[in-house]
Amino acid sequence: MSVDRRGFIKTLGAGVVGLAVGAVLGWAAKPLEVREVTKTETVTVPGVVERKLPKATVKIGVLGIRSGLWSTYGEFIEQGARLAAEEINAKGGILGSRVELVFRDELADVVKQAKELVDVEGADFIIGIDSSGNAMKVGGIVSELGKILVVTHAATHRLTEELVYKEGKKLIFRSSVPVYQDGTLAAYIAKDLPVRKWAGINGDYEFGRVSWELFTKTLKALRPDVEFVVDQWPKFGTEDFTPFISALLASDAEALFTSIWAIELVTLQRQLTIMGGYKKFRAVISTLGYSMDVAYSLGTDYPTAELGTWVSARYMWPYPPTKANKDFVDRFKARWGRLPAYSAETTYSAIYMLKAALENAATLDPDILIKTLEGLVIMTPAGVRWIRPEDHQAIYEVPYGRIVHKGAEVPLLEDLKAVPAMLYYRHPPFT
Amino acid sequence: MDLTPFLTQIFIGLYKGSLYWILALGLVLIFGVVRVINFAHATFYVTGSYMMYTFYMYTGNFILSLTMATLIAGALGVAFEVAVIRRVYKLETIYQLLATFAIALIFNEAQKLVWGKGVVYIPIPEALREGVSIGGVTLNYYMILIMVIGLLLFIIVILFMNNTIMGLRIRAVWRDPVMSEALGVSTRLIYTLVFFVGAALAGLGGALTVPLISVGPGLADYLIVTAFIVVVIAGLGSITGAYIISVLVGVLSSILVLITPELDIVILYMIAAFILLLRPQGLFGER
Repeated sequence: MSVDRRGFIKTLGAGVVGLAVGAVLGWAAKPLEVREVTKTETVTVPGVVERKLPKATVKIGVLGIRSGLWSTYGEFIEQGARLAAEEINAKGGILGSRVELVFRDELADVVKQAKELVDVEGADFIIGIDSSGNAMKVGGIVSELGKILVVTHAATHRLTEELVYKEGKKLIFRSSVPVYQDGTLAAYIAKDLPVRKWAGINGDYEFGRVSWELFTKTLKALRPDVEFVVDQWPKFGTEDFTPFISALLASDAEALFTSIWAIELVTLQRQLTIMGGYKKFRAVISTLGYSMDVAYSLGTDYPTAELGTWVSARYMWPYPPTKANKDFVDRFKARWGRLPAYSAETTYSAIYMLKAALENAATLDPDILIKTLEGLVIMTPAGVRWIRPEDHQAIYEVPYGRIVHKGAEVPLLEDLKAVPAMLYYRHPPFT
Repeated sequence: MDLTPFLTQIFIGLYKGSLYWILALGLVLIFGVVRVINFAHATFYVTGSYMMYTFYMYTGNFILSLTMATLIAGALGVAFEVAVIRRVYKLETIYQLLATFAIALIFNEAQKLVWGKGVVYIPIPEALREGVSIGGVTLNYYMILIMVIGLLLFIIVILFMNNTIMGLRIRAVWRDPVMSEALGVSTRLIYTLVFFVGAALAGLGGALTVPLISVGPGLADYLIVTAFIVVVIAGLGSITGAYIISVLVGVLSSILVLITPELDIVILYMIAAFILLLRPQGLFGER
């Protein structure tokens, strides 16, 4: 059969069209999972598509108290941040981008510092913040900043419950356990102690007020027979607690609850001992009593009550007894010469949270990163942290323990009492 | 009604008042004679604390450490007067405030470099560790010692001012520096001397508190506020007034802690504001 030129082109054209239609139909008729497998393979073939961040340097702005009496806390934040950044950079950074840290003092007008971190320094993230008041201030302008904020110390529940959950400020996250640790969990410890009459001494500011309120409410619900016979409210910056202590001792309380922290707690514990507080109170609960500055300062003088001096923090180096934690403690000690303070761990873990999100999303777009961080589950020194999607609060547990002296460089803990985090954390809708 | 709690609060108030007094005395002397509002006063206090700590760590001798801490704080006061204050006497008050405030900030940060950011303290001397127990509150012997030292200081200063030639000269400069200078009194020497005494007193106060109050950088920034309130209520320039008001403020604030724990500080500030409205020169002030 002879085929002329026109006929040949027609046949060829029909063939091409037929092939094309067949190919399209065939592709469309392929089972779904086959298509997905093909897609995954293309992405994971090395060198074919390179996943990297749009910038060669990821800049993290770090806020903390760096001047005055509380500057130890800014130092803890810095130590945790530096260790994380050094480790990450030594292993090639985040998707090839180096981590760079910029530190600012939150006591020098925190709003101005946060704005400068973003506008002048070009920070991609802001982490840290010691004071609850400052956390609320930066949280309030977070939309204006347009960057993700991970609070690593400030403990007011309002940050996550109000700003994130109720007002929808989704850029805010928190890697440290809030005041649930100080107020609620302390009540679970108190309920098992054979004492009925409690005294309280707490700071006359938001954190102190909320701690005492949560403690008394929770304990009353768990143990209706308890009584709260006296409460004292020293101001922030109290250098001498003697008048408050003698007022506490004038009551018939059998046990003492305090959320006083840092340098003030060192003085409070010493003056309690000097004035006979440890002869009177059979048990003492000190919610931030195992902050490392306090443990190192008091050392062998750390007083122990008859039924125990029960202490906690937002992370305590002996817990959990995992390899991941032990290795972290060793690395921290090798780098800084001291055991890690709680805000060092919470800041260290905050940077690893960001690293995980960046590696998953391969972008610096805050909206995509928010989605990646929500529900993130990550192994950290303090144990597994889960970022609760509703309020962006990291959920992990920290126990209380009883102070004992074993001749170590700091007092140690015994009878560690942990309660599952989901039991003592407050939950949405936070009524 | 059981009055024991009030008694213990009064006792604690007397101890606290004595501490305020030691700080306020230096402030009053320096303001009265040199006419400088010394924001760096807290710096001398903290220097005394750290010196006490350091000497005690090396020697373990309480009396020696206390003496050295007091003298070093005094010497620092002299250096401060010669290097800084002497240059701002004739300038407006605002420059004096800025200069003294700047010194305070520089020292706060420098102290962090030397002693770290954490807190330090020393134990109460063995002989004074116990105390009298009233209603469950131990009134420590060391607190009593501070009260006694406060009272002794008051007596010594009053006797010195009223019964010695140097006291007479200081009072003369206090009243009228120009006329004193004309009569051959070296105001420069008096100013330096007063700075030495004022700073040494602050250092003594700081050193005495290390066993009771842990010391950290910037610790006295809060304590100094109360000392200023005392001086304002008493009237800048009155030594007897400063003693009486120090003790009263100590006792009153201590009792307020017991009866209105919510408002203790507020009431104190309200009293200060009220007195300033009625008598701007202070209760014991002359000008």
